[in-house]
Amino acid sequence: MNARTALLRQELARRPLLCDGATGTQLQLLGLAPGACGELWAVDHPERLQQVHQAYLSAGADLLTTNTFGGTAGVLGPHGAGGRVRELNAAAARLARRIAGERAWVLGDVGPFGGMLEPLGESLPDDVAAAFREQITALLEGGADAILVETMSDPAEAVLAVAAAKACGAALVFVTFTFQQSPRGYRTMLGTSAAEALAAVLAAGADVVGANCGTALSLADYERLTAELVAAAHGHPVIVQPNAGSPKLVDGKICYDESAAQFAEAAPRFLAAGARIVGGCCGSTPAHIAAMAKLVRG
Amino acid sequence: MSLLTDLSIAVAAGKRPDTIRLTQELLAGGTSPQDVVEQGLVPGMAVVGEQFRRNEIFVPEMLVAARAMKEALKLLEPLLAQAGIKPKYTVVIGTVQGDLHDIGKNLVSMMWKGANFAVVDLGTNVSAERYLAAAREHNAHLVGLSALLTTTMPAMKETVRLLKAANLPNVKIMVGGAPITQAFADEIGADGYSADAGSAVSTALRLMGEAA
Repeated sequence: MNARTALLRQELARRPLLCDGATGTQLQLLGLAPGACGELWAVDHPERLQQVHQAYLSAGADLLTTNTFGGTAGVLGPHGAGGRVRELNAAAARLARRIAGERAWVLGDVGPFGGMLEPLGESLPDDVAAAFREQITALLEGGADAILVETMSDPAEAVLAVAAAKACGAALVFVTFTFQQSPRGYRTMLGTSAAEALAAVLAAGADVVGANCGTALSLADYERLTAELVAAAHGHPVIVQPNAGSPKLVDGKICYDESAAQFAEAAPRFLAAGARIVGGCCGSTPAHIAAMAKLVRG
Repeated sequence: MSLLTDLSIAVAAGKRPDTIRLTQELLAGGTSPQDVVEQGLVPGMAVVGEQFRRNEIFVPEMLVAARAMKEALKLLEPLLAQAGIKPKYTVVIGTVQGDLHDIGKNLVSMMWKGANFAVVDLGTNVSAERYLAAAREHNAHLVGLSALLTTTMPAMKETVRLLKAANLPNVKIMVGGAPITQAFADEIGADGYSADAGSAVSTALRLMGEAA
């Protein structure tokens, strides 16, 4: 473990940390066309991506997430960039690392690989594992301090990503799952409970676990979910990154309905429920994170 | 219990071998292929849709049921074609332009097949013009638009606008996807909205004038 990652581990034990918010929404404000491949901006428009990281750093984020959610070969492929995994992920990590300096840590972001594992889908575990390793190798090469496997629904997929991160030498691995409501409590799209999901990735060696995004989950839902996650994490730090409400179309632009102030007010409640890292997912902005920083740091 | 009821139960539980066996037994016993579909498979898949809508089952159970149904349809489709029997409704579905996500769209497509609709699946990243051309070509009763990305919601709005402007008689438009809400559907002028693949069949039937 390098010194910076070791320090992150220490800080996690010492104080609550603040993660950044949505990247995609910010890139769109800077001109990313709907549906276009944002991962290309690490190379095509590094100055704009830099601006987003800088805004979150200034807002008080301790953790900056690389702009590599769709950075596996299978997701980049339809954009004609399937052969550029190493280049794009390494560039994105380098860029975030440069902005973070010694003030923040960089989480190398790994999203779903875009398909479904067999037997539900047709993807073979070995192929998916190889795709994750390819991406994670590049993220670490670019200077990511830890790996964040995020927005997971299938524990089997998350386990493959965690194992890939470990195999690539990541010293600290975060995993977040995405939940929805059901009569049996919060479940992923595949019906996995928080307890089942966390047990699977903790057994695979995940260090920090939690939830992000979610379908129709309010901030009150997230508070209850946090308690479930903390109980299932068996002492491992828990991270929560809710959406800033639900998207709405106003004058042709997508807006989210939770104001920065409302959003931030929930953060101390998440911490009281036992979370150690708070941040935002879809719709959250540097203003949301800045408001959180004020309340979390006092 | 009748064999048709047994078939419904087998499909809903995703029991592939039972589904195939019961389909064969029903056909051998003289039940028409159309009745096997409409009174065996369709009610079974309706149960799946309802349980999914209530979040009592999740994607895996739905996929397994759809797979069992598919096996039965392999036996039935040649017979239906021979008899010249076509599904009552034709529906066109796709993910809107700029959006490459297909899991939600595929689930809805599956459920619509399970309701015995003829489904024309245009795939992902479908332009407004392609939806319109397909709706014309196939004389569709319904066009379904899916979006996962919030950023492609404006593309959904544009597609609805183009389809409405074309003024096709009797074509209803239905929208869905994780970020889509009833309010959004109303705002862009869609005829219907389905919050999940489980409600997609009943919403579609309602739009096409059948009592759900």
